[in-house]
Amino acid sequence: MTDLVRVTVDEREVHVPKGTGIVETALAAGIEIPVFCYEPRLGEGIGACRMCIVEIEGIPKLQTACTTTATDGMVVKTARTSKKASVGQNATLEFILVNHPLDCPVCDKGGECPLQDLTFRYGPGNTRMTFEKLTFEKPIPISPAISLDRERCILCYRCTRFSEDVSEDGQLVARNRGAMSVITTFEDEPYSGPFTGNVTELCPVGALLPTQYRFEARPWEIQNVPTVCGMCSVGCNVNATVREGKVKRILSRNHPEIDEGWICDKGRFAFSHTRAADRIVDPIKRVRMHGFEPVSWDDALDEAERLLRAAQGRVVVALSGSETVEQAYAMAKLVRVGTGSHEAMLPEEVTHSLDAYGLPLSAIRDAQVVVVLGDVSVAERAPIVDLWIKAARRNGARVLTELDDHAVRGADRAVLIWSGPGGRGGATVAAHAERLGLAGKEGCGAFYLPETPNGRGAADAWAAASDEEPAETESVGLLIVSGDEAANDPNVRALAEKAESVIAISMFHGLAAGWADLVLPGTSYLERDGTYVNLEGRLQRLRRSAMPPAPDELAWLSQLASRFGVELAPHAPMVFAELSERIYGGLAFGEVGERAPLRGYLGAPAHVEAPPLPEPEAATEGLQLVCYKPLFSGPAVERVDELQFQRPPAEVELARADAQARGIANGATVTVSHNGTSMQLRARIAKDLRKGIVRIAREHAGDLRGTVEVSA
Amino acid sequence: MSLADEIQKVARRYPESKSAILPALRLAQEEYGWLSREAIEEVGEALDLTPAYCMSVASFYDLFNFEPIGRHTIEVCTNVCCGLVNAQAVLESFERELDIAPGETTADGEITLRAVECLGGCSTPTIVAIDQRYRQSVTPEDVPAILEELRNV
Amino acid sequence: MSEALVLGGAEETPLRDLASYRAVGGYAQLLKARAMPPQEVIALLIESNLRGRGGAFFPTGRKASFIPSPEKVAKPIYITVNADESEPGTFKDREIMLRVPHRLVEGCLIAAHAIQSNFVFIYIRGEYSTEYDVLQSAVDEANAAGLLGAVKILVHRGAGAYICGEETALLSSLEGERGQPRSKPPFPAIEGLYAAPTLINNVETITTIPVVLEVGPAEYAQIGAPPDSTGTRLFCLSGNVARPGVYELPHGLTTRHLIEDIGGGVPDGRSLKAVMMGGSSFPVMTPDDLDTKLDANSLGQKGYFIGSGVVCVLDDRTCMVQFALRVGQFYMHESCGKCTPCRVGTRWLVQMLRAVENGTASESDFDLALDVCDRIIGKCLCVLGDSDAMIVASCVTKFRDEFHAHLEHGGCPFGHDSSLDGLFAPSDQHAAHEVVV
Ligand SMILES: Cc1cc2nc3c(=O)[nH]c(=O)nc-3n(C[C@H](O)[C@H](O)[C@H](O)COP(=O)(O)O)c2cc1C
Ligand code: SF4
Ligand code: FES
Repeated sequence: MTDLVRVTVDEREVHVPKGTGIVETALAAGIEIPVFCYEPRLGEGIGACRMCIVEIEGIPKLQTACTTTATDGMVVKTARTSKKASVGQNATLEFILVNHPLDCPVCDKGGECPLQDLTFRYGPGNTRMTFEKLTFEKPIPISPAISLDRERCILCYRCTRFSEDVSEDGQLVARNRGAMSVITTFEDEPYSGPFTGNVTELCPVGALLPTQYRFEARPWEIQNVPTVCGMCSVGCNVNATVREGKVKRILSRNHPEIDEGWICDKGRFAFSHTRAADRIVDPIKRVRMHGFEPVSWDDALDEAERLLRAAQGRVVVALSGSETVEQAYAMAKLVRVGTGSHEAMLPEEVTHSLDAYGLPLSAIRDAQVVVVLGDVSVAERAPIVDLWIKAARRNGARVLTELDDHAVRGADRAVLIWSGPGGRGGATVAAHAERLGLAGKEGCGAFYLPETPNGRGAADAWAAASDEEPAETESVGLLIVSGDEAANDPNVRALAEKAESVIAISMFHGLAAGWADLVLPGTSYLERDGTYVNLEGRLQRLRRSAMPPAPDELAWLSQLASRFGVELAPHAPMVFAELSERIYGGLAFGEVGERAPLRGYLGAPAHVEAPPLPEPEAATEGLQLVCYKPLFSGPAVERVDELQFQRPPAEVELARADAQARGIANGATVTVSHNGTSMQLRARIAKDLRKGIVRIAREHAGDLRGTVEVSA
Repeated sequence: MSLADEIQKVARRYPESKSAILPALRLAQEEYGWLSREAIEEVGEALDLTPAYCMSVASFYDLFNFEPIGRHTIEVCTNVCCGLVNAQAVLESFERELDIAPGETTADGEITLRAVECLGGCSTPTIVAIDQRYRQSVTPEDVPAILEELRNV
Repeated sequence: MSEALVLGGAEETPLRDLASYRAVGGYAQLLKARAMPPQEVIALLIESNLRGRGGAFFPTGRKASFIPSPEKVAKPIYITVNADESEPGTFKDREIMLRVPHRLVEGCLIAAHAIQSNFVFIYIRGEYSTEYDVLQSAVDEANAAGLLGAVKILVHRGAGAYICGEETALLSSLEGERGQPRSKPPFPAIEGLYAAPTLINNVETITTIPVVLEVGPAEYAQIGAPPDSTGTRLFCLSGNVARPGVYELPHGLTTRHLIEDIGGGVPDGRSLKAVMMGGSSFPVMTPDDLDTKLDANSLGQKGYFIGSGVVCVLDDRTCMVQFALRVGQFYMHESCGKCTPCRVGTRWLVQMLRAVENGTASESDFDLALDVCDRIIGKCLCVLGDSDAMIVASCVTKFRDEFHAHLEHGGCPFGHDSSLDGLFAPSDQHAAHEVVV
């Protein structure tokens, strides 16, 4: 139990745990202390802006509430009851406004700007400053995605503290001192990395703004739709800002256990792929002489029915892992119940043995030992997890990239994370967790970072639709490619070669053209209602934010299903209700929740034994190549101009020791070779890489596989 | 010894290597005369800090140059204590003789002239730091001889 | 007894090398201190009532007593000696480092023993090159002679930023960050350098420690103006005075005595108009207060501060608007930019003062300026902004007639005859300079 202390704020008494900040203490008493620079997620208060100034009995000088913590018997007077504090606060606002331009009418922040709000509430009514304001060139891009208006900047240092202390990229900094201080990057290089966009939300004024949103909407024209990001397996909670049926912006929607209010740049900026020029809006059919041509929905469904029947039970469905649970279930029911075909290509392996080690992601921050295995940068697979690991390290945790049994056993709270190939869907970490006795130990657990946002949910939904086993068949009558990620997968493409016919569900032209017989328009996660299961096993609710340009998957799947005598509702809540009875313990759609709790699988066994660990491979000559799917890759990212600069350069990452042993300097051009194939890439020495491993983004790896040699 | 080695040697004297950023920037500036992009990147690399961070720190302090400067620097104190006893005449004399304004470098790249804040030598005004070494009690009349001396170095 | 204690023995020639310092009894006090339990050394300092010479006049022994004992903390304990000396008009620490560097080293070692620290940083301002060389060689010599024992002394050079003299900014800078102050509490004694307990003292304070031991705390406490302003002080006399210099004098002599008798008065038959007292960070003194004694209490009663011992004389040729403006420009240039009132207020004040100087202000602007000063004082993160506001406000208040004359005259009534006329200010570092006066 923490000690409670008694504090009086503006004559109201509250009891708070000792050490609680005064801003929070006042809030507990129902009193708001205005702040600009203070943002608890950035660490301790720094007392820079002086907005939170209060009087504390016994201390002659005004104090900043954001840097003061509660002690027993403390008597705090905020600007509401202290003349001195209110003069101080008013002074702070006056000083802030001395250089702030009066361009609110053309500022994208206008209407949702803390400075505007606080000026209205506490500020001076007129200006006494009659001299020239400080002027700067405006706005300047600090990256293709973010623009900076230095005149509006109030130097609260939120953005630079985020860069230094949260994302730890150290790229956004203050330059010069005093009145001439400005926010900048090094030599005007673009601010890059997985998390840059967060500064646009942290900035309490209109200084840092997303370029995509420039002049796009005013606050009274928009709605913020609470939904979940569908770009990776973390499932950050977001608000989609919608104007006239179109998504204009993605904002974070703090889920303290999942994302703490941070989202990655893919989740933030990639939404505009929904408006890509090559978006498929009508079904298209292959026509012998003319290639492809659009067809009506009736014709499309006739064709789909024909192909399904012609396959005679030899249908295979390749899932992307980005389908909603409902979509995957609907597809499964159509194919499995309707045509008696039970074979699916799942986007990734799924195991239930990890369930016994489930934790909220935020538990990583509180761990003493975090072991990250698998050799793919966490930020590439599940970016927000990287921030939790960084937070753990700042809290004093040991973060290891090799499994040290002793360290794990010795820690009260240990977390294992698998990020990379060879994880067997989590079975590998589950086996280690089991071996190291983490089962049932509070604060201990294991995570597997899947490559797809809803691979687990899609697999479970597929399984729930029928108990039949796939029959042994030699040939594939029909391959259904569900989604662009599947369409992009070389294994799926290889199977398509063998299939007698192919139906593809795709958002974009070009992906399935040339090899599918029928292409049906796909939708984005922003256009769907439904649920996703994230990497924690948390069931979360997606809300339709934008209207899809064509009927969504559930709509036409239900129609098609009825042609096969299968009853399937066209709406997510009803599909969910049916499915929920089978795997989610009857949980109602409406109860999934705005800020979903980590429920675990209702009715799931408490423990599923993890499959045994594979024998360690014999030490190999050369370097083990790990190819990874970069965060900034994929069909959506490729269609967003503002993200192109973030795509990985043609690089090979090496451990320092391996580079030194080969006389390779950081940035040098090197040859990577394997079995006669070789490629030229730039070398980058990566601090987080184990000796003996090299890493290349999949799109730059060509045909390289397995063990490779790297030479200067 | 390479600059990186030198920096790392200095860094080892501190409990935390980041503390060596000022000596490291100083070493880099001694090596190159000013803090070019490459110089800052070298400091960052040696101390495992981002170049942006190093630039941010360097730009906080007056003694670092972000543009090439002259072979010699002349810094005239123009704070009040020297000003009361005519530092401006000394500065003007340098301006006249060099034909440049404070903050500028002579066309031949020899001399950079600056006005600076109190140098801590107020009892012997005007204080002029020539290549970072103080000259005390400098008068306007001393200026030609000082320049003559510098040009012969 | 000769008045010079801190500079004792170095009146004629500096005591730069170990041998010459030993010849005047150097390092004897270190041996004496090391023979005592640490707490006893702190007790001696408390008894002497030695107070900080860096500006805030905080009791040195008490500050040392705030440092937790090593058994109670899991971290090392540090000492940082503040040799950043950048307050306009201050040049005493430089004199100490050039003339008695070993006494400073001895003081460091005694302080290290008192608080059981093994790591002393001396943060010396970046512009002090010769001073650095002299000090570093004294440290090396002492080290070679085995005097340091387990203690490490690292002389760390700053890089040109007045704010780094502020103790928490100094710590930020020493940790490799931008030299911006930090909010207190926690105080450095509890959470200082690398979040470990840290004692921060001015060069003169530390150098006085061996003196206190030599003279004896009780005797030391009788020197000067007891009970509060004990001992001697290195006064920095400069400006329009015949014999400027550093004078080590006991506290409690009058300002007039220092300026007229010791400093030879205002030369050229001019008269004294004002004194920049304590440093540029404090209110200016007017001639009617010249008989105020140079000790903290006497000065305090009249609204002045002893600061870092600055006594800079302004004669009747000084335009006080130009003076306030030039001082204001200094603070604008040196503001670190972290907190709003200081970053914005210092610049705003410069703009207002420039308007007064140019004759474009109006009478009501004086009250606005005073109100802006008021809105800075006590609201900033550290006292840099307060300092600016204090001296500017004192000029506006005490020389309002002269400010007013600028309005009447449509510009500076001195024409070009003010001694500060045409003074340059390095306004934005690394960027443009401007003639502002
Ligand atoms: C803006 C500012 C500048 C300062 N500059 C110095 C300085 O150059 N030297 C110094 O010793 N103290 C300076 N101080 C005072 C220090 O913060 C601190 O009080 C002092 O070093 C403590 O030492 P002392 O107790 O021995 O006086 C400055 C304070 C402020 C607010
Ligand atoms: S850009 Fe915004 S977040 Fe950054 S310092 Fe300025 S006001 Fe603060
Ligand atoms: S919110 Fe406390 S000083 Fe900015």
